[in-house]
Amino acid sequence: MNASQSSWNRIAADAFAVLARWLLGAVFLYLGLNKALHPVEFLKLVRQYDLVQSSLLLNSIAAALPWFEIFCGLLLLAGVAVRGTAVMLIVMLVPFTVLVFRRALAIQSALAIPFCAVKFDCGCGNGEVFICRKLLENFLFILFSVWLLAGYGRNLCVRHSLMSCAAKTSLTEEGGSNGSI
Amino acid sequence: MVAAAGMVLAFGANLVSPRGLALTRNYFPAGISRPVPVARDVTNTNPPASSPAQLLAVRLKEQGLQSVDGRQAAQLFHDPRFTQGSIAFIDARDEQHYREGHIPGACEFDPYYPEKYFAAVLPVCQAAEKIVVYCNGGDCDDSESAAILLRDVGITNQKLFVYTGGIPEWITNGLPVEIGGRNSGNLRSTNK
Repeated sequence: MNASQSSWNRIAADAFAVLARWLLGAVFLYLGLNKALHPVEFLKLVRQYDLVQSSLLLNSIAAALPWFEIFCGLLLLAGVAVRGTAVMLIVMLVPFTVLVFRRALAIQSALAIPFCAVKFDCGCGNGEVFICRKLLENFLFILFSVWLLAGYGRNLCVRHSLMSCAAKTSLTEEGGSNGSI
Repeated sequence: MVAAAGMVLAFGANLVSPRGLALTRNYFPAGISRPVPVARDVTNTNPPASSPAQLLAVRLKEQGLQSVDGRQAAQLFHDPRFTQGSIAFIDARDEQHYREGHIPGACEFDPYYPEKYFAAVLPVCQAAEKIVVYCNGGDCDDSESAAILLRDVGITNQKLFVYTGGIPEWITNGLPVEIGGRNSGNLRSTNK
């Protein structure tokens, strides 16, 4: 009974992790495409964060980030290099969430309005959003990414881990050839 | 590995995309830094000392450019010299916004893709004595960028005026806008 229940729990967790992977992949693909199709608008939004003073760096961020998100989205949807992609998402999402939070604080202070009433286009790819909703959304995405990094969502993957798959394949081949001898 | 492959693909995709950004171009000739919003005193009903229009006016002065307000822009529009080509209006917004409605007779000049428009805009600017550049008003500084680009190709500072209120103020003032291409004749009244 206990074994059957734990087996069901594992199946449910795996199914949910696959859904989370697909959701993250679809969201990043959609947001990346929105930015890649309107690069000038995205460039203007990145500029508002006052991150860099060099036009080369600013242009590079605005030019590469949308396509990088599309790439990560496609990898997650297909289930290729899932853990490496999850690391990339965390690396992008954490600093971006901090930047969005800081900008929202500046807007709140300038307009003297409640924090959750702050609404602006953060350059996320889906237009103007309320800050509290955006922060909650990012928190969930970070949580999903950590979950994928922990090794969940392996089902229905084309190639979950590039490195370990290659290592496993070579080991199997080695074992196979040894066996044949 | 994901990061390296992703970066290579991302820069490659930007390179081949028709809308891709030119990495070495300075898209913001007036300066990359954006003014930080200043805290508003809620007990003071006067506009803040550093409103977008005032900040823009200061920046224009630093760039040696002149500004015009809504009343002056309307006067220039109704001036007979406008129809003779001695006064020109330049719309520094993107193509979509331009086609949705611009100051009648204004030339389209998106400062993010200047090479696409120079051939049509330069003869108009060279023939004009006064050139009024505008965009979306508020904190939009694309008109400033367009004016600087025009100055860089030989249009003198004395000719260039930035209409700080831009198209929103124009519409608020009930002045007509033209839909579609330049001189399409498809005018829309914005009288309230």
